[in-house]
Amino acid sequence: MERFCLTKKKTIRVNENTWIVFFEEQLDFSPGQFIMLETPKLVRKPFVLGYWEENLAVSIQVKGKGTKWIVEEAKKIKGHGPLGNGFRRDGKGLLIISPTCLTMARAFEKKMNVDILVGSKSPVLFPLGYETVVGDENFLKKLSDLPEYDWYLVSGSRGMEEVCWEHLKGEEVYFSLEEYMGCGIGACKSCAVFTKNGVKHVCADGPIFRGDELCWS
Amino acid sequence: MLELKPPLVLLSGPAGFGEYLKLIDHRYVGGIILKTVTLNPKEGNSTPRMADGDFYVINRIGLENPGIHEFVENVPELPVPMIASLGGDSFEEYLEVARTFKKVSDKFCAVEFNFSCPNVKEGGLSIIKDRKRWKTLIVEIRKILPDSFLIAKIGIEGIFVEEAAEIVVDTGWNGITLVNTVRGLHFEKGSMILGGLSGPLLKPIALRAVYEVKRRFPKLLVIASGGVYSMKDAKEFLNVGADVIGVGSALFKDPGIVEEIGKYLMEVKG
Ligand SMILES: Cc1cc2nc3c(=O)[nH]c(=O)nc-3n(C[C@H](O)[C@H](O)[C@H](O)COP(=O)(O)O)c2cc1C
Ligand code: FES
Repeated sequence: MERFCLTKKKTIRVNENTWIVFFEEQLDFSPGQFIMLETPKLVRKPFVLGYWEENLAVSIQVKGKGTKWIVEEAKKIKGHGPLGNGFRRDGKGLLIISPTCLTMARAFEKKMNVDILVGSKSPVLFPLGYETVVGDENFLKKLSDLPEYDWYLVSGSRGMEEVCWEHLKGEEVYFSLEEYMGCGIGACKSCAVFTKNGVKHVCADGPIFRGDELCWS
Repeated sequence: MLELKPPLVLLSGPAGFGEYLKLIDHRYVGGIILKTVTLNPKEGNSTPRMADGDFYVINRIGLENPGIHEFVENVPELPVPMIASLGGDSFEEYLEVARTFKKVSDKFCAVEFNFSCPNVKEGGLSIIKDRKRWKTLIVEIRKILPDSFLIAKIGIEGIFVEEAAEIVVDTGWNGITLVNTVRGLHFEKGSMILGGLSGPLLKPIALRAVYEVKRRFPKLLVIASGGVYSMKDAKEFLNVGADVIGVGSALFKDPGIVEEIGKYLMEVKG
């Protein structure tokens, strides 16, 4: 883990509110790890690491002032990482992701045998190179006739996680969780997740957890 | 007196159990106040536990911690002086925590007692509501830890800081940390987060608290806590008499701020 300053190279828009942000520098990381990036907000924000067109890149959903700043204005961005635990699994897996996790998919492809399925709420603006379903109904239809894989990893909104868990009961399913993060390094205890083995922290114990370890309400 | 070089501490909570030292050059950290530990382990509150607004951070962590027994069995080994932070859910619990801590007290240069956490139902803020009882409590804690450098961490709710400082001085305690977070309310996606407020919005309140206490009790060691996010903030706290500058939620913005302030404090304080 180290502190760094990344230089923004370019951005491309993926859908209504999601962008891919490219950086000039490279970082060594394992698939699933993330970085904390500084914005004009008071607290750094986490972004899952990945690649696009061989560049270090993160996908960003513009949600507020901080993410808007990264996409529209930032040139140099301070941050620290890589953080969290990388993910490694043998066998053939399926990554089910929202466009906010696109660049992470590239990192998984480099190291693991995976297919990628993208579920987007709004139309995507260019072919992603992955099977893409648009809209909740199409996504649900797709989930009900998924082929058999050794494992599945879901990374998207809470809603997406819940429907995937519902549809993939009995399978080996992992989830890359999101929780508000203050520090990203296990210090502040803001990113708690209640599991069957007690309180864990998304930043230090995750971000990827096995579905059957989580307490689903 | 507590000699911290530079006179800069990472504050309890944001500093965790030392994780930030992996990101910050130790030379610029005078000490670290570890996360508050209570008698029994606490899981903390449900999520969301934290949010940030334009000028503040709000948290309702709920003192998640491993409990004093686990803590004394596994005292962290850190490259900078450590200050423990102890809390309790009742009068008796504070004493029990102090007794258990005594076994490892020589590993710490000081111990801070948290009398002001707004995020737990009992203990925290409520313990100082009854002055007489609080005074008795801190007299008893002094008896258990006669040789420790004792610091009381106080907020601005439940007591006037100068009144708290007087009790702290009268009972032979050595320092005071001003101030803890103030109860606040933040809306996140339409839902309310009731928690403790820190960050830039807390600074004028903390400055005033340090000022009021220091001019009445110049010998009492005062640790500033509230909205230190820059060298300018640190300077202002020195101006009102702070002996030690505490950095809390600014760690979430940029851990590099600690080095900048640490360097500055080394220049002006030696
Ligand atoms: C996430 C978080 C957790 C905290 N936990 C504790 C704690 O366990 N014990 C304590 O005495 N203060 C705790 N505090 C309060 C800080 O130590 C500090 O007094 C407060 O944040 C004000 O300083 P700041 O404005 O520099 O953040 C916490 C603050 C935050 C933001
Ligand atoms: S973000 Fe601070 S503990 Fe996870």
